[in-house]
Amino acid sequence: MADEDGSYGGDVMGAMDPESARHPQPVYKALRETVPVMAVEGVGHVLTRRAEIEEVFRDPQTFSSNMDAVDLSNVRPLIPLQIDPPEHKKYRKILDPLFAPKQVALLEPSVAKLANELIDAFVDRGECDFSQEFSIPLPSQVFLTILGLPLEDLSTFLKMKDGIIRPDHVVGKPRDHEDVVAYQREIADSIYAYFDRVLDEREVERRDDLLSRFLDAEVDGHSLSREEILDVCFLFLIAGLDTVSASLDCFYGYLTDHPEARQAIVDDPSIIPAVVEELLRWETPVSGVARVATVDTELGGCPIKAGENVMAVLGGANTDEAELPDSFEVRFDRDVNRHLAFGGGVHRCLGSHLARLELRVALREWHARIPEYALKPGAELLYTPSIRSLETFPMVFG
Amino acid sequence: VRLELDRDRCTGHGRCYTLAPEVFGSDDDGYGEVLVDGDVPTALEATARTAANNCPERAITVHD
Repeated sequence: MADEDGSYGGDVMGAMDPESARHPQPVYKALRETVPVMAVEGVGHVLTRRAEIEEVFRDPQTFSSNMDAVDLSNVRPLIPLQIDPPEHKKYRKILDPLFAPKQVALLEPSVAKLANELIDAFVDRGECDFSQEFSIPLPSQVFLTILGLPLEDLSTFLKMKDGIIRPDHVVGKPRDHEDVVAYQREIADSIYAYFDRVLDEREVERRDDLLSRFLDAEVDGHSLSREEILDVCFLFLIAGLDTVSASLDCFYGYLTDHPEARQAIVDDPSIIPAVVEELLRWETPVSGVARVATVDTELGGCPIKAGENVMAVLGGANTDEAELPDSFEVRFDRDVNRHLAFGGGVHRCLGSHLARLELRVALREWHARIPEYALKPGAELLYTPSIRSLETFPMVFG
Repeated sequence: VRLELDRDRCTGHGRCYTLAPEVFGSDDDGYGEVLVDGDVPTALEATARTAANNCPERAITVHD
């Protein structure tokens, strides 16, 4: 979530130890109180206060989200994330209605069905790997459904996603190694080719799915070119999957840490929307988003040169006491919660309403069927930095 | 009280119409809009204020 992409701001928190990766809030606080604008070699200026982060979001001309902000081996700008205003608006005009709450609400039965089918597979076993069997497949299956693609393509989908987002993990070498760079390029090419092929099919025969709608979408009398549609699809693949998986991992990590919060959901499922907002705030699954300065400027008194990156640490903004005095308390009864877990400004996460729906439905269906669960004794949760997801989450029920 | 929603500032987080659907609505693109013409009925003032306070972009002003 966070932003139209889902972040990909680089691994500013890459040096975190497992404990800090699992509970990063004290790290954010320490940075806020010592170096709220911190220059980090290879990353840029790291921002951890709400004030500077809002400044960045409100000034997309100065702090651009263009291709210089993040490199994911895409050959053209991702749409709409890497397009700046005013052109950005024309794409959002097409995409926003497709992801507006009214439209997204229609998906609720499908999401509930997919969630329940996943639960069916392990509920009687008394344990599961929450990441491998629930949080990873669910958002990908929802996306396959929306795009009108067969669920059998799940493994292809996951391979493409992981190859772009964490090629270093897949290849088992450092991020800047030539093999990793080459692999990421290869996967990027395969993503364009995959969607190109599906779009060829939809050109011949339209269906009731998102890809068909893209082909017929028009703004200011222009339809989207094939390349433009591919650039949207590429972004969807890397923005819509990992981010929701990470959110589920973070939420259930919190809930296994706090049985009283888990019990509160079981006792009164009507609190789920508030739980979603508060855990989005507290956990901030997508920890940061990147921008690049287009002119010489300053933030919080620190000079920023044109061409330099800034990394808005959303988790820092969301735990800033200047915005929320009791920010270190997790409360499901807040009157005010202005979290920026989906980013802010013109690039506010396009999929935020879909993400919220998936999270609400997942919590509801899960707790109705598996009210009691815990981290498997002896297991440790190792969160990846940046997008805070888990590769494995051994869980026991009852 | 009257409500003013700054369309240039709203980026479609959707907090207002989620928290106070009696007072705020969503357009087809998911951006907020004020549903009440003129003064907000007294019974809805508190919920309207809560919704305004929850806007991440501070796009809503409550005029007393």
